[in-house]
Amino acid sequence: MGTIIEAKEFSYSYPRRDNQVLKNLNFKVEEGEFIAIMGRNGAGKSTLTQAFNGVIPHLHGGTIWGNILVDGVCSQETEITEMAQKVGVVLEDPEAQLFTTRVDDEMAFGIENLCLPREEIIERIKWATKVVRLEGFWDREPTALSGGQKQRCAIAATLAMKPKIMVLDEPTSQLDPIGTFEVFDVIKSLKEEYGMTVMVATHKSEHIAEYADRIMVLEAGEIVAFDTPQVIFRNSELLSHVAVRPPQVSALAAYLNSMGQNIKRSDYPLLIEEAEVVIRNLIGGASNGQ
Amino acid sequence: MSILDYHYGDSYVHRMDPRVKMILLVLLTIVVFIISNFYVLVTMFALVLLVWKTAKLPMKNIVRYMKFLLSLVAFLIVLQGLFFSSGDNPVILMHPIIPDVVPVIGGHGTIYLDGILFGLVLGLRLLTLVCIMPIFTMTTTISETALGLVKLGMNYKYAYMTTTALNLIPTLQEETKMIMDAQKMRGFKAFETGKLMEKLRAYVTLVVPLVVGSMRRAQLMGVAMEGRAFGAMKTRTYREDLNLRTRDIVCGVFVMLLCIGVVYFNIRLGGWY
Repeated sequence: MGTIIEAKEFSYSYPRRDNQVLKNLNFKVEEGEFIAIMGRNGAGKSTLTQAFNGVIPHLHGGTIWGNILVDGVCSQETEITEMAQKVGVVLEDPEAQLFTTRVDDEMAFGIENLCLPREEIIERIKWATKVVRLEGFWDREPTALSGGQKQRCAIAATLAMKPKIMVLDEPTSQLDPIGTFEVFDVIKSLKEEYGMTVMVATHKSEHIAEYADRIMVLEAGEIVAFDTPQVIFRNSELLSHVAVRPPQVSALAAYLNSMGQNIKRSDYPLLIEEAEVVIRNLIGGASNGQ
Repeated sequence: MSILDYHYGDSYVHRMDPRVKMILLVLLTIVVFIISNFYVLVTMFALVLLVWKTAKLPMKNIVRYMKFLLSLVAFLIVLQGLFFSSGDNPVILMHPIIPDVVPVIGGHGTIYLDGILFGLVLGLRLLTLVCIMPIFTMTTTISETALGLVKLGMNYKYAYMTTTALNLIPTLQEETKMIMDAQKMRGFKAFETGKLMEKLRAYVTLVVPLVVGSMRRAQLMGVAMEGRAFGAMKTRTYREDLNLRTRDIVCGVFVMLLCIGVVYFNIRLGGWY
């Protein structure tokens, strides 16, 4: 396990704009990590995800300072098509990124571009289908799938190219709770079963609390915190400053504290199970006191 | 579902080699342009309907095309009936249409039978043409079309450009409907009840979101395609391979012979009817 992504003093501004949307980013991501990128709308999350495979600056233009090394290659100096074999990017809009008329065509598109032999292509489609659990959907039209299925189809289409890193830009922002759950379930297995490095820009704190190794908090293009969910989600002052919603159970603990209960910050729960313990203790403590 | 969208099915037309389908599509289009005899054209239209039936495509679409073309065909018939000028000795149905008692223009105006039939031929030709194209687009997936074009010798980037453009038509139709519905729901009635100028102005409110939306979509699609290594190599491989089966060749040759026969009869019969 080594460092797979390294940003060195990376800044970026869109063409014909003066302000930098990403400012002086310095960070390292280890191989196999699950990183969540959080922050308010307009903080630079999407822009950052597009910098990993070189869409920024190759397609959008603009000015860059510093660089981002992805698997030893500078993403700003390498063609997007070449970066595509290292970094798979799934976009927010489930509609716009599906452009064929059959699910299996969609999955085949990327690997066909890599000039792989036909047997290998078929093998990889089968594998990607299994990972995203879309067996039996091969002959469906992508536009006729549900939101969660569309997004899983987009993940499979990228996954089939076997990139080392998967980058997902708000993959569940247009999905209902069930679709969101399905997609996060798949993302989790990418890391746990297939050892991929995963970076997700998202607002879904509950899922992040459960799956992420570290959270990168962006505010106005700068990294204001980059730490474990336990540290980030218990820092309610930071969260309200950057407009990131903590998991509901953490918010509950913070609220109870403000109402005079005494919950240690290091005991703030992140998951429902943890919350159960904390609340049981509270109730137990109260009844003991009487 | 739009009228040009792929229509899921498993008919013989669906399974036919896209290369053969493509060549036949071009051939049939040319033949329909050549045919000028009314009866031959009716036969041709009947054959096209037969292919629709074989491909199990929805017949109600043809009714929709007919409705769509009705006013245009009616206009052509009236125009040709009144002002038909070619032909040596056109058959006159009625002369004069304005009675002699009317001053100045009395005793003028003729309705030509040849003209009416010519108008009908033009109308039927349009209808047949309109019905041929969907036989291809509704039975062939985009990837099959692209693969067919590549195997016919086209660069894969251009092949994809072509197929994406084809795919864009139904998407735009859908989007247009969505925007109009959204406007109607907010009480925008210019499209139905407005005067001519209001209607024209209303189209601006339709075209602007449509164009802006398409540009945004196209850009995202570009990002998605490049993100999946489109254009990384000079060539690309394909999951599916085309194999030209004997029956595709037989069918192709049969349709070609049929076309030659149709053109032959058209020349022999000559004239409009």
